[in-house]
Amino acid sequence: MTFNALQAYQEIWGALLDEEFQEALRRASTISQVRVEELLAERRELVELCREVAGIKRRSIDTLEELVERAYRSLEAVRAKPYLAGDAEEARRIIGGLVGSGKLVVMAKSMAAAEVGLRGYLESLGNEVWETDLGELLVQLEGSKPMHTTTPAVHMTRYKAIKLISEKLGVKLKGDSVEEAVKAVREFLRGKIVKADVGISGANALAADTGAIILVENESNIRLVTSTPPIHIALVPVDKIVPTLLDAVKVAIVQAAYTGLYPPTYISIIAGPSSTADIERVRVYGAQGPRELHVVLLDNGRLKALKDPLLKEQLRCIRCGRCQYECPVWVHTANKWGGPAYGGPMGLVWTAITVDPIEAGKLSYLCLGCGRCDASCPVEIPLSTILRHLKTMASRSS
Amino acid sequence: MLNPLDVVKVIEDNVRRYGFPFPVPREAVYSWAKPLRLLDRGSTMLYTGALYQLTPYIASIVEQLSAIEGSRVSGLALKLSGILSSLGVSRLIVRPKGDMVSVVERILTSIVSLLERAEVKVAYPYEDDMYSGVLLYDLGLDELFKEHAVKVYRALKSRGAELLVTVDPHTTHIMRSVYPRYVDGYDLEVKSYLEVLAERGVRLVREPSGGKVVIHDPCLYARFENVVEQPRMLLRTAGFDVLEPRRSRKMTYCCGGPIEGLTPKMAKMIAKTRLEELREKSGTIVTLCPICYANLRAVAEGDVEVIDIALVLSGAKP
Repeated sequence: MTFNALQAYQEIWGALLDEEFQEALRRASTISQVRVEELLAERRELVELCREVAGIKRRSIDTLEELVERAYRSLEAVRAKPYLAGDAEEARRIIGGLVGSGKLVVMAKSMAAAEVGLRGYLESLGNEVWETDLGELLVQLEGSKPMHTTTPAVHMTRYKAIKLISEKLGVKLKGDSVEEAVKAVREFLRGKIVKADVGISGANALAADTGAIILVENESNIRLVTSTPPIHIALVPVDKIVPTLLDAVKVAIVQAAYTGLYPPTYISIIAGPSSTADIERVRVYGAQGPRELHVVLLDNGRLKALKDPLLKEQLRCIRCGRCQYECPVWVHTANKWGGPAYGGPMGLVWTAITVDPIEAGKLSYLCLGCGRCDASCPVEIPLSTILRHLKTMASRSS
Repeated sequence: MLNPLDVVKVIEDNVRRYGFPFPVPREAVYSWAKPLRLLDRGSTMLYTGALYQLTPYIASIVEQLSAIEGSRVSGLALKLSGILSSLGVSRLIVRPKGDMVSVVERILTSIVSLLERAEVKVAYPYEDDMYSGVLLYDLGLDELFKEHAVKVYRALKSRGAELLVTVDPHTTHIMRSVYPRYVDGYDLEVKSYLEVLAERGVRLVREPSGGKVVIHDPCLYARFENVVEQPRMLLRTAGFDVLEPRRSRKMTYCCGGPIEGLTPKMAKMIAKTRLEELREKSGTIVTLCPICYANLRAVAEGDVEVIDIALVLSGAKP
């Protein structure tokens, strides 16, 4: 995937002039900031837990290559089928090969899928593909990209969202009721999920000791997507691997809390395909859940980033998107200030790692260097320092 | 929208040529100090890094960039900014914002008199009160920044400096936390005048009427240099009731200033958000940084007053 910083700057300019976009972002960012601030003030144990998670992630990244190998073996041990994709193209090819064509595919929201351009690729193979996270579905219907890591349709007002649902899904929605819209989408997606051939998810964390994938959510679409179709494919960036199952759960709790979701409505632990041995102790795969679980471990520049002392720090990121909501620039641009998938403080660095450091560096000039992202990151990533580093890389290249 | 890469290029060229991000007469940096007859050598040295003095020029340039930025729809303006670099920006500089020049002079003079009241005698390097290069660092222009920093350091050392007393957060941060990483053998101690005043105990004239003011923490003081309590303490000592905006101290909110040269429009949007938040607490907003001052003032309307802390503390409040 490629992108061009100047093109992004033009889109940013458009966003600045779009009052509806600005209004939606202003509302969402204020609500999010206040919610997380109150949550952390009330539950000091979460602040403690995030320090612990920062330590877990530090140690994981220090031994990442070894953890990838351990995770691979553990996945095999629980009868999941592991793959290692070196780059986005390889990930698309592996998953495309597993899905084939003419299938109905349902997806749980995944930034890794956006990173490799998975939905578009599967559609190009002749599959019908649906996003099942409401925000991500809206992004799909709009034909844009996720505008925030955990709340992809943050840039839309209710009017825009309802209009999209009515027009693109052919559902008749009256008035501006969000409840009606959610109900209509639920009915529409249920019809797809029950018939789907393949469910695709990302992961919040992967435990190297057990091969267990952790997924945290509030909609329950991930539960349905990962358990209803006969085949589940998980696309997991290698930086999500941590040593133990307990570590992985801690990561998910902190990730949810820093997006303002606490307690998390659902945390799924998935270690291998569904099975039963209830008849004569004969193990049969595919009881009520999927009979096959494929886990694609995605490198795409991450292992190379280990060699750059500053980019390496980014690999601790748990994708809570806190730095986006706290950034004075991002709250006017959303992920338009970013690459093909990721945006904002952490997103520019992820773009540098997974796509192109020079183009990401050119976009980094908009960073104020104010350090609010540094101060709000639960895993203590020095984001503003890394963004300055990207500026240096860009200026040296020109 | 302007092409940030063009703007960066222009700044780089100007620093090479003039020692400043844009052409300014050298005298504009130190003429304020002439009437004060400060010693031009000494171990305790007031170093402004020219940021306050540059602010009236920056404000004027931003106004002009703003007109260019908004004059065309996105694509065209991006190309248009090519013209900007061929002009070398020098043509853009007409004159500094006049009223701001006198405000800046009063601020700097007040800082010297506050230091005197705290029994701190400072020398001043006049022609060697060079630009610190802060923008070069912020834009990641590391090689040029290093070159520039070495020159500044040598000039200050040649005047006998041991302790630098700085007047704004950007210069404080760059001289205290960044220079040591770029200049071999760097041995200057750096303190903001607010830290010096708080430490030495300055005799402040208590404002009899006092009144409520809201404090706007600059990002670098609050998050990088731990200058948070000192200004509050000083303002309280001067008889003011210091109110906190929703986002303050370590989680303070930027004024938008650092990107005003790249996208004046967005910088203004950020400043507006902040101004509204500050205004909820008080119509008198105290700033600690010239960039914050200029940006918040540019969007202040009606009965909102933005005022630099040095003027508040010295009782020179207009």
